[in-house]
Amino acid sequence: MPYFKDADEVYRFIGRLFQDLSDDEELGPKFRKADTTVQYQYRNPESQITVKMREGEEGQVDLGETDMEPEVVMTMEADTAHRFWLGKVNVTVALARGQMKAKGPVAKILKLVPLVKPVFPRYRQMLEEAGRQDLQEA
Amino acid sequence: MEAAPQFGARQLSGFKDFCQFAHGTRVIAGRDLLSSAGFEFAKEGAHRVFVVTDQVIRATGLVDKVEAGLMDGGLEVVGIFDEVPQDSSTEVCDRCAEQARAAGADAFLAVGGGSVIDTTKVADSVFTHGGSARESEGFYLMPRADDGMGAPLPIAPLAAIPTTAGTGSEVSMGAVVKDHENKVKLEIADFPLFPRLAILDPESTATLPAAIAAATGMDALTHAVEGYVSLDANPYQDGRSLVALRMIRDNLERAVEDTSDEEARGNMLIAASLAITIGLGSTHSMSHPCGARFGVPHGVANAINLPHVIRFNAGGGADIADRYRDLNEVLGLESGGSDSAVGDRLATHVEGMIERMGLPTRLSQVGVPEEGIPALADGAMGDGLTLLNPREPTEEDYVELFRRAL
Repeated sequence: MPYFKDADEVYRFIGRLFQDLSDDEELGPKFRKADTTVQYQYRNPESQITVKMREGEEGQVDLGETDMEPEVVMTMEADTAHRFWLGKVNVTVALARGQMKAKGPVAKILKLVPLVKPVFPRYRQMLEEAGRQDLQEA
Repeated sequence: MEAAPQFGARQLSGFKDFCQFAHGTRVIAGRDLLSSAGFEFAKEGAHRVFVVTDQVIRATGLVDKVEAGLMDGGLEVVGIFDEVPQDSSTEVCDRCAEQARAAGADAFLAVGGGSVIDTTKVADSVFTHGGSARESEGFYLMPRADDGMGAPLPIAPLAAIPTTAGTGSEVSMGAVVKDHENKVKLEIADFPLFPRLAILDPESTATLPAAIAAATGMDALTHAVEGYVSLDANPYQDGRSLVALRMIRDNLERAVEDTSDEEARGNMLIAASLAITIGLGSTHSMSHPCGARFGVPHGVANAINLPHVIRFNAGGGADIADRYRDLNEVLGLESGGSDSAVGDRLATHVEGMIERMGLPTRLSQVGVPEEGIPALADGAMGDGLTLLNPREPTEEDYVELFRRAL
């Protein structure tokens, strides 16, 4: 059974995390150095988050439908995304096993991977504050 | 005198949570195989063959021999594409696919070095599945059955006859081609890109100039070294890396000193095909942008960058240094002492090989300016292989590594 019951739950947790990161004074500018727009397409439940990280521009995170044209598209189960933010997914292994699929200039995203590690505790804390211990045990 | 180390003990320790090893290529190696290219390729389902090569190789007469061998085996050669440049591009791949389609081909044969073989792989994919080379970028993204979750769909039969001993592309599922517009190298990897057949015959490297034999041989050595210490290392690849390194130890400098040494050239072809893996590390992450931005030949960039990455990695912990101890043993170097001493010995050995073979030793000798370092470091950080390096580098680390290599 999937961790998230519907797209709204995906947006409430993973979506909010992306919004927090985009607004973060320290991390936001680092992410915008990637100078790209990424769309995360999740299955089970079907959901979609599009993140604009363009150098010199404000960040933007669209939950669901969007007018933004993604340059990179990452496809995965929502469960995989959730486990990634808990620090339990090795991206290279997930790519090798096809659990994550990346279309487009993947390099722009891969260089962000080392940057997101400090974010894992923040995601866990968000789940804790929401009283979702069940999700922390993924 | 220090006791001889117990070779093998370290290599067999531990058990990983996950590893994957695939090898989808039938390899034949030996003498006088070009004349039976058709006989062998027919077994892989080829009938109407489109040959992909470059003008330098074609001028040597090698392609004529291969063509005769194909026809002798009852195959038809429907076209020859000889426009692959040293650093091939997405545009060349698309053009190659288009010409193969127009010629009515049903199979591809690459005769050349890494650029030719990688071009042929991507062209075959575009030929079979449509779309463009630019759209093919990514890992494990080729079309699959069952709504993308099932078996990858095959591409037209593909065979390769490598004319350099280094790339290993003839037995790998990876391809790298340049996107000239964005000045980046696109990396594409998926199981169908394994050529179905690789023909390793020293006759195909008979006209290889010593300098290119040296550079491509250093590419093979870099694969063996990086593949062994990569986070993606596994026992299957370990065996190949160590045997490849031993063969490179015994044959590379021989093949460069005497380009008529058929035995050394043949063994280097086998070594290169053993060493290749897509689980590499920071040397390749540094070399890819050197090629994309400044046109540094891949083998030369690897040769220059490798010693600096070895020293950096060896300082990253005992586990990493222990892997280098294994390599030192294969190369007959002292494997004891501190972590940094182990790395330094291996790096110094590699630098000695580069100098003896007359290759450039600094990036500044091959057109890389100091002001190019920030862009190179940015490119290296964005290279997927950085995530597989045993010691996690920061962008500042890369800046320092490029400074040392300059």
